[in-house]
Amino acid sequence: MSLVTVKDLSYVYSPGTPYAKTAIHDVNLSFDKGEIIGVIGHTGSGKSTLIQHLNGLIRPTSGQVLLDGRDIWAEPKKIRQVRFRVGLVFQYPEYQLFAETAYKDIAFGPVNMGLPEDEVDRRVRRTAQMVGVTDEMLEKSPFDLSGGEKRRVAIAGVMAMEPEALILDEPTAGLDPAGRDMILSRVREYREQTGAAVLIVSHSMEDMARIAEKILVMNEGRVFRFGSVEEVYSQPEELAAIGLNVPQVTRIFMGLRQNGLPVPGGVYTVERAKEVLLPLLSKGGGAHA
Amino acid sequence: MLKDLTIGQFFPAKSPLHRMDPRAKLLLLIVYIVFIFIAGNPFSLGLMTLSVAAVLLLSRVPLKIYLKNIKSIWVIVLLTALLNALYVDEGALLCKFWMIQITAGGVQRAVFMAVRIVLLILTSAVLTYTTTPTALTDAIERLLSPLRFVGLGTAVHTMAMMMTIALRFIPTLIEETEKIMNAQKARGADMESGGLMKRVKALLPVLIPLLVSSFRRAYDLAEAMECRCYNGGKGRQRMTQLRFGRVDLVCALLSIAVCTGAVVLNIFL
Repeated sequence: MSLVTVKDLSYVYSPGTPYAKTAIHDVNLSFDKGEIIGVIGHTGSGKSTLIQHLNGLIRPTSGQVLLDGRDIWAEPKKIRQVRFRVGLVFQYPEYQLFAETAYKDIAFGPVNMGLPEDEVDRRVRRTAQMVGVTDEMLEKSPFDLSGGEKRRVAIAGVMAMEPEALILDEPTAGLDPAGRDMILSRVREYREQTGAAVLIVSHSMEDMARIAEKILVMNEGRVFRFGSVEEVYSQPEELAAIGLNVPQVTRIFMGLRQNGLPVPGGVYTVERAKEVLLPLLSKGGGAHA
Repeated sequence: MLKDLTIGQFFPAKSPLHRMDPRAKLLLLIVYIVFIFIAGNPFSLGLMTLSVAAVLLLSRVPLKIYLKNIKSIWVIVLLTALLNALYVDEGALLCKFWMIQITAGGVQRAVFMAVRIVLLILTSAVLTYTTTPTALTDAIERLLSPLRFVGLGTAVHTMAMMMTIALRFIPTLIEETEKIMNAQKARGADMESGGLMKRVKALLPVLIPLLVSSFRRAYDLAEAMECRCYNGGKGRQRMTQLRFGRVDLVCALLSIAVCTGAVVLNIFL
């Protein structure tokens, strides 16, 4: 049985009024612990609405969200328990920091769970270390930290609940390349240490090629594609039809192949491109010159 | 949810009232309010009621929306009517029960007050439904502009600018509140249960980030305005010029006719 299963999920905004708008239609998907899934789609494709269903912030108009095979809305009073198991990090999460110290802010979730004090302390220190927040930073006011540090504290605030599924809505938006790499590697680290499922919403096909194992493409409120990175990225025409582009390096490789150069397909990251190109160049650099 | 709250209730439609100059609408509203209270007998109040009904129809805003306004104040209407009925001691005694007595004069006063409050709400609603909040603040600024002769020009402009900015940011803040509430709920914040103290405490994780982001927005906005050389009211010109047009003239004349009619009915009947 999968950790999370979404069955025939639909959601309509302001039903019964002239402003009614169907945000997602008949979405079906499931994922399991240990998977890293990239969620891609245009603004308004239903990504954000979908992920807010997964931890019960939005109640579906029709259809179900199953956690370990049980409908999360079976007992609406216990919906908070679902939110501890499916952690959701919103876009620009640093804007929700509020406590006097970074420590207390990270502890907010675990305290809400009703955990004993020593367990809260263990979790705060562990996640702080995992995301690269030092002990000195923990004692500071979150408002005195830098932008990237705030972001990491905010993400740690959700990780500290040790959810079995961690969902992040554009966790790297507005960060410089170094900050972006930092966040993505910390998220991967969380998966290694806890074996949780990770869902990352992103606009960057490049980033997703590097971190994700599966890709979910949303278009106009429906699941457009859901499969391995290979399956999704090997159909660039399909993606182009809904206005999405495969990574730049992939397009370069496609061009090289069209021009008759013997490069392999399936190159989605610059690192992989380097691995593939270097032996070719050292073997017979002058052949095509 | 929070978004359903209607503040700055502008209802877009094509009607002569939407086309009117906001200054004319604001002045006519004041005139109407005064005359609703001047109308002292059933005939003159009836005339005012009819003309308000005509204005409602003219605004092309669905009557259902006006009804929603009345729904939210019917308790006040009822209470006012009840108090008037019980306390006014005039005319024939209708019934007496223990310490309570109801007179014909009391009933009349009660009905009058109820009708007046309803008319008051409806006419004000016409203004807010047919005028955008920005046009309204613009109108207030223009109407108060003579205050510059007593050295209050900058004050008037600043007040109007503050009102415009405040109105502009209400939807933004509502959206922001919703977002922060969801983010804290995702961390298990419980805002729906517990006693009063517990609930107030549970609001802190929402209010503090909201306050912080409001300050951030204010600084950003101030900077953006300075970058565009905003320096208060001095030498500032307007993109949209307000002009009294034919619609305004016709409406003003009709209103004068109605109000004169009400006065005539007041005196002779």
